[in-house]
Amino acid sequence: MSDQPITDLSEARLASNWSAATGSWLPAVILLLVTIVVWEAAVRIFAISTFIIPAPSEIAKSLVAQWGTLMQATLVTAGEILFGFLVSVVVGIAIALVIVRFDWLGRALYPLVVLFQNVPKVALAPIFILWFGYGLAPKIGLILVIAFFPVTLSMLAGMQSVDRSLLSLMNSVGASPTQILFRIRVPHSLPNLMAGTKIAATLSVIGAIVGEFAGASDGLGYVIQFASTQLDTALVFAALLLVSVLGIAFYYAAEILERIVVPWAPKFSQS
Amino acid sequence: MRIETIRTAGDRPAHIRHDDLISAKGVSVVIARQLILRNIDLSVPKGSFVSLIGPSGCGKSTLLKVLAGLVQPTQGSVSIAGLAPVEAARKRMIGLVFQDANLLPWKSAVDNASLLLGIADKSLSRSDLRARGQEMLELVGLGDSAHKRPNELSGGMRQRVAIARALALDPAVLLMDEPFGALDAITRDSMGQSLLEIWQRTGKTIVLVTHSIDEAIHLSRHVHVLGIKPGRITESLDIALPYPRDLSVTEDPEFVRLVVQLRTMLRSSHQPGGAS
Repeated sequence: MSDQPITDLSEARLASNWSAATGSWLPAVILLLVTIVVWEAAVRIFAISTFIIPAPSEIAKSLVAQWGTLMQATLVTAGEILFGFLVSVVVGIAIALVIVRFDWLGRALYPLVVLFQNVPKVALAPIFILWFGYGLAPKIGLILVIAFFPVTLSMLAGMQSVDRSLLSLMNSVGASPTQILFRIRVPHSLPNLMAGTKIAATLSVIGAIVGEFAGASDGLGYVIQFASTQLDTALVFAALLLVSVLGIAFYYAAEILERIVVPWAPKFSQS
Repeated sequence: MRIETIRTAGDRPAHIRHDDLISAKGVSVVIARQLILRNIDLSVPKGSFVSLIGPSGCGKSTLLKVLAGLVQPTQGSVSIAGLAPVEAARKRMIGLVFQDANLLPWKSAVDNASLLLGIADKSLSRSDLRARGQEMLELVGLGDSAHKRPNELSGGMRQRVAIARALALDPAVLLMDEPFGALDAITRDSMGQSLLEIWQRTGKTIVLVTHSIDEAIHLSRHVHVLGIKPGRITESLDIALPYPRDLSVTEDPEFVRLVVQLRTMLRSSHQPGGAS
C-alpha cells in the first residue's frame, strides 16, 4: 500500500469512474451467476425432472439444438413487436394531438379512451383472431390496444404541463392555437412522450406473445405453447429467454431513441 | 397640457410634462367574486421607469396583467398609446418578462430571443430572426452565449435571454413581473444595473413589479405603493435621484431617506382598507 497522494487528477477520476461502473453492474452480474449456479446445483442434487424445471445447462442445450427454429420464431415475433410498437406510437400521438387541439372532440374522446383502458385487453385476443385471422393483423391490433395508452397519456401530460406564463407570452403576440401546439406543446411533451414510449415498448412484447398464444403458427409465443404441449420445458425456457432478450432490446432501443430525440431532457443521474 | 419631449439619458427637469404612454382609469378587477383591484388610476409617462410595489396578494401582478391585456378589467379602461392592451400587444408594443424566464429548453439562446418576434412577424426569415436575436443578446450582455441551450445558462443569464426576447419585439413598453425575484442578491443587483443601462440605451418605458424596496428605489423614477384587500394604489413616490445611477446610489443619504419613507408607506399599506 502506498500513501502517495494522487497527483494526476484524471487518473483519479478514471479510477472512481471504474469503481462506479463496477459498483453499479457487478452486484447484479454476480447475483445472476450465483442464481444460475444454485439453480443448476439444486436441480441435480434434488433430481428434479426436466419436465418440471430444466437445469440451465438443459436450457442451453435446447437453445443450441433448436437454434434455427428459435431464430426464425424470434424474427417473426420481433417483426410483430416492431410493427405493433410503431403503430401504437403513431396512433397514441395522434389521439393525444386531437384531444389537445380540438377541445370539443377531446372532451368527447378522453373519457372513452380512459374507459377503454379498463377493458382487459388480453381478453380481446380471441376476438381479434376471429376478425383478422391468424396472420400479422391480429397481433398488431392487440399490441395497439395494449400499448397506445401510455403513449397518449404521457404526451397529454407533457402538452398540458406547459407553463401558463409562457402561454401568456405566446398569446400576447397573437400566436394561433396550432402554432402553440406545434412550436410549444409538442416539443415540450417530448420528454414525457419518450417515457411513455419506453413503457409502450415493453407492453408491445406482451401484446405480441399474447397474440401468438391466442392463435399463431409461428413466433416465440407459438413455440412456447407448442413446446409446453410436448412437455419440452427446456425449449419453453429457451424461448422465454429469447422473449426477455427481445424485451430488453426494445427497451434499450427506445432509450437510445430518447437520447437522440430529447438531448435536453433531464436524465436520471447515474453518477 | 402635456408636452412631448424626446427622452434623453440622464435626469430631466421636473417641470417638463410628458405624454402618458400607459393610462389606466378606474380599473377594478373581480376574479371568482373576489375584488382583486379597486379603482386603480395609473399613468405611466413615455420613457419612464415605474415600479409597482406592495405586499403579497395586493394584486400588483394582476395589475400588470391588465396592462398587458392578459386580464380584462371588470370596470374601467386601460390605454396604451391610445390602444386597448390586447391591440397594443398584437402590434408588438408590449414586451413581457416574468419571474420565470420560461425559455424553451430545446432552443438555443438566440432562437429563444427571437421566438416571439418570429410569431409576431411571419415575414421575417430565419436569418433575419437570428440576426435580431443576436443583436438583442448583445444588448443584454450575452453576445457570446448565443448558441448555448438554457440548461447551460445560469439563472441570471436565462433572465437576460427573457429580457432580450421581449426587447426583440421592439416594444414601446416593457412590463416586468418580479423579473429578478428568483435570483440571489448579488445577481439581482447586477441585473438591476443592467436593466438601467438597457433602459437608458433603448429609451423604453418600463413598468416593474417588485417586492424589493431597494430595487424599486435604485431603478425607478416613480414608485406606486399598492395596499391589500382590496388591491389599490395607496401612495406614490417620486424618486428624485439623478440618472445615470449605479449601485453607489444605495449609499446616498437621499436613497436611505427614501428607503425609510417607502418602508413606512408599505407598512401602512398592509392595513386592509375600506373606503378611501
